[in-house]
Amino acid sequence: MHRFLRLSVLLMGLFAAASTFAVDAQTPALTTEDDLGPAIEQPIEFPHVRHAKDMQINCMYCHTYARRSAVAGIPPLQKCIGCHQYIESVKDKPRIKTLFEYWDAKKAIPWKKVHDLPDFVRFNHERHIKRFYFQQNRPVQEVCGYCHGDVKEMTVARRSKLLSMGWCVSCHQKEHPVSAEGGTPVGNQVPWYSMKKPPADASGKVIKAKGPNDCSVCHK
Amino acid sequence: MMNSGFDRRDFLKVLGWGGAAVALSGCGNGSVEDGKETVVSYVETNDYMIPSISVYFNSTCAQCDAGCSITGRLREGRVLKLEGNPDSTINRGKTCGLGQAGVQHHYNPDRVREPLLRTGSSGEAITWEKAYALIAEKTKGVSGEEIAFLSGGVSGHLKVLLGNYLDSFGCKNHFAYEAIAPAVLRAANKKSYGVEMPRFNIGKAKVVLSFGADFLGSWVSPVHFSQQYAQFRKGVDGQRGVLIQVESKMTLTGANADRWLVVRPGTEGILALGLINALGAHGVALSGDVAAAVKGYDKARVSKDTGVSAEQIDKIVALLKARTPSLVLAGSAAEGYAHGSQNAAAINLLNQVLGNVGKTVEVAEVVPFPQMAPTTGNTAALRKLNDGLAAGKYKVLFSYAANPVFTAPGAMKFKDNMAKAGFKVVFAHYLDETALQADLVLPLDSALEDWNTQVPEYLATCAQINIQQPLMEKLHANTRGMGDILLALLKQRRAEEYKGFEDYYAYLRGAMLKNKAALGGGKLDDDTFWNETLSKGIVKLEGRVGGLSGRASAAGLTLPAPAAVDAQYPLQLIPSVNASLRDGRHTNQPWLQESPDPLTTIVWDSWVEIHPRKAAELGIVEGDIVEVSGKNGSIKAQAYLFPGIHPDAVSIPLGRGHEAMGRYAKGYGVNPFQILDPVFDKETGELALHETRVKISKAGSRVIVVKDEGVVGGMQMGKKIAVRVSSDKVKLSEEV
Ligand code: SF4
Repeated sequence: MHRFLRLSVLLMGLFAAASTFAVDAQTPALTTEDDLGPAIEQPIEFPHVRHAKDMQINCMYCHTYARRSAVAGIPPLQKCIGCHQYIESVKDKPRIKTLFEYWDAKKAIPWKKVHDLPDFVRFNHERHIKRFYFQQNRPVQEVCGYCHGDVKEMTVARRSKLLSMGWCVSCHQKEHPVSAEGGTPVGNQVPWYSMKKPPADASGKVIKAKGPNDCSVCHK
Repeated sequence: MMNSGFDRRDFLKVLGWGGAAVALSGCGNGSVEDGKETVVSYVETNDYMIPSISVYFNSTCAQCDAGCSITGRLREGRVLKLEGNPDSTINRGKTCGLGQAGVQHHYNPDRVREPLLRTGSSGEAITWEKAYALIAEKTKGVSGEEIAFLSGGVSGHLKVLLGNYLDSFGCKNHFAYEAIAPAVLRAANKKSYGVEMPRFNIGKAKVVLSFGADFLGSWVSPVHFSQQYAQFRKGVDGQRGVLIQVESKMTLTGANADRWLVVRPGTEGILALGLINALGAHGVALSGDVAAAVKGYDKARVSKDTGVSAEQIDKIVALLKARTPSLVLAGSAAEGYAHGSQNAAAINLLNQVLGNVGKTVEVAEVVPFPQMAPTTGNTAALRKLNDGLAAGKYKVLFSYAANPVFTAPGAMKFKDNMAKAGFKVVFAHYLDETALQADLVLPLDSALEDWNTQVPEYLATCAQINIQQPLMEKLHANTRGMGDILLALLKQRRAEEYKGFEDYYAYLRGAMLKNKAALGGGKLDDDTFWNETLSKGIVKLEGRVGGLSGRASAAGLTLPAPAAVDAQYPLQLIPSVNASLRDGRHTNQPWLQESPDPLTTIVWDSWVEIHPRKAAELGIVEGDIVEVSGKNGSIKAQAYLFPGIHPDAVSIPLGRGHEAMGRYAKGYGVNPFQILDPVFDKETGELALHETRVKISKAGSRVIVVKDEGVVGGMQMGKKIAVRVSSDKVKLSEEV
């Protein structure tokens, strides 16, 4: 008994100390869903607004890996140059000059990661793009925007969603349509992720379903 | 700090809660790290390079000479994992543990990264230009006789270039050295079958009688044999194959045998002749000379000499007679004596008497390019080189893929003799013992960065040329491929002839395309053929089939009586070959140190295997540090009591005990090569690895042996999961 008491006192002390420490270390204050992440300085202040809004370039033209792989990837430098070598009008702009400096030196641009999930979370871009862009025919900027916010209004991208687990789950719990134009369910299989049978139409075809809810889907 | 009953478990609980506190206050509050990490994109890239998606390239495993084909998995331009290439008839999609560790050769932190020139006792980094210039300067005006080139086994285009380089000096001193190679067996096979390496078809045999051939662990082509072994166990005609292993120290293969027989070290040949004699007595026809040769080897004598009981001999004979075809293998344990050739010849003779030649001992195909055929290494070559060095014959010594300062018996004084060479160039991956003696160390690309072609010595079902190609970009800017170095050196000598080849890649491609038709690409255009070759990683060929003769003769077959017990050094030292560490060239790959020895489960250290009876006699228990001393030095290591060894022998594994090489190799364990007696096989001049006599004594201290096996595992919780039965109690007739 005595030993137990001594241990609990110690436990409480450590708990308090650790908690205080953790709160101290957490420099950004509590965030809400609408809070932006910190502004991040990039080697080149890339204007998303120019490309995505003014030029109406499809997000996946540059972030081409997003539909094919777990990660969206940053486009290879060669892709930037592919266009910019023909765009005389902006060649003298400081940002483009810096771009060509990297290219001439054949050096990769050390971009800073803006949306950096912890290593124990495995988010799959391909899966989400297939689901919402290809099967639901939602506009690409809307689909990317579910997680990345309204990037077309930004210069350097800035995190505008929480990207916490609760935030992910809040979306996975919503009922989303599962078929494009009332066609076949996703991947020909009935998504049956929750314990409740998803809503079906008169013929019994599943029309809406929740996102997967298994731990192992994201924590592999 | 943790006194008064506050034990470790409580402490861990505390830590656990502390962790929870941190996690709680972080929860739901955006644990995303913004802008901390860098995400580096490609500058230019191929379309198939997609981040997070793996791509695969085929190449060849360079961890040993078996020549297994591998497939490397890459992500983001980095090789992550090696697997076997299913298209290879040698390994059919599998690799061994040593092969798996190939990535640790590549990413090893102790690789040499710059050319180093000796200045006094240290090395100074120099440029490649300077290194090449130095070699040109030192070889200038030097005659061919004054140059020696030491290497491991070489084959393919590298061998061609090496040959041409030496030829440019008129130099005939290429010494191909492998510390543990079946060299005695090759010579014996040549005599018995007409070829050095026939194909041993284990899969077709119904009984395999192996005299110490560890074909599942480290012998010749272990991955290939393991697959044949699986076939053998499934059985031909529904009869599961029976494996009998005869050896003085249990190997991995021995541990898998149906019947493991301990034999007095060195008497394997006597047993083979005794079996022939007994087969004759049981009605197997023996030719006149064979019958005469085995006449004296009656059961009583053989049993007395070898320690194998007459009853066991009868059982083996009955089995060999009842089941054909069988296959008899002579392994390194039988070879390693002054009369090793005789042992191997006697064992081969047994194969012939049993009618196995042509059935399970088959003719192997040969790659139809003799200039690319493997030059296999042996220890006689080292001896010759050592004698030459001792006599001060060489002004320039090159060393590639060999580490003789570590692997030569200390009594040969190789290190001292090497110092007598005028200028010593060592091509090295690590600063190993030999590289440390060099005047110039040239850093090599890893096997996953380099180009090459390889022709394996042991070919499985067809002749093939293996392609080794870079799996990823070089890690270090100043390492070079061996082929590139040789080409650069050749350009110094024969500039006209080689000026057309920008690098070894260009040479290799050119040479392969020149022989496109012979390589099976006659109908393809150059680029298609080359790309297909690279993507497959193997070129399969119509091999030339050489002849196999079954003319093993008993003429001149005389086996010495078992050696009398040496009163001063009563024990035989068996340097054992571990499947992961082999001769110690890869010891700096930590996975190999970490993977437990299959029989003792010991990791990261050496041990002395002693029979429990002998140990009891000497008052030794597990973990006692014992001193093993012979005529040529002594070493100390922890004792491990092991029933799978002859009571008059002790065994120490090879491969550990490095004094240099790198952080994972240096200072772990002891090196039994150092105390080997310099005894040589009488016919071939090969080092007789098993001929060392030693005595052991307790050195005082005792340690806890670090191993996976525990007391509980050993006792199997009293559940008798796998029951131990001594070999005399096994009823072979019931078993098979
Ligand atoms: S046996 Fe093992 S180490 Fe040797 S080539 Fe095959 S996979 Fe590589």
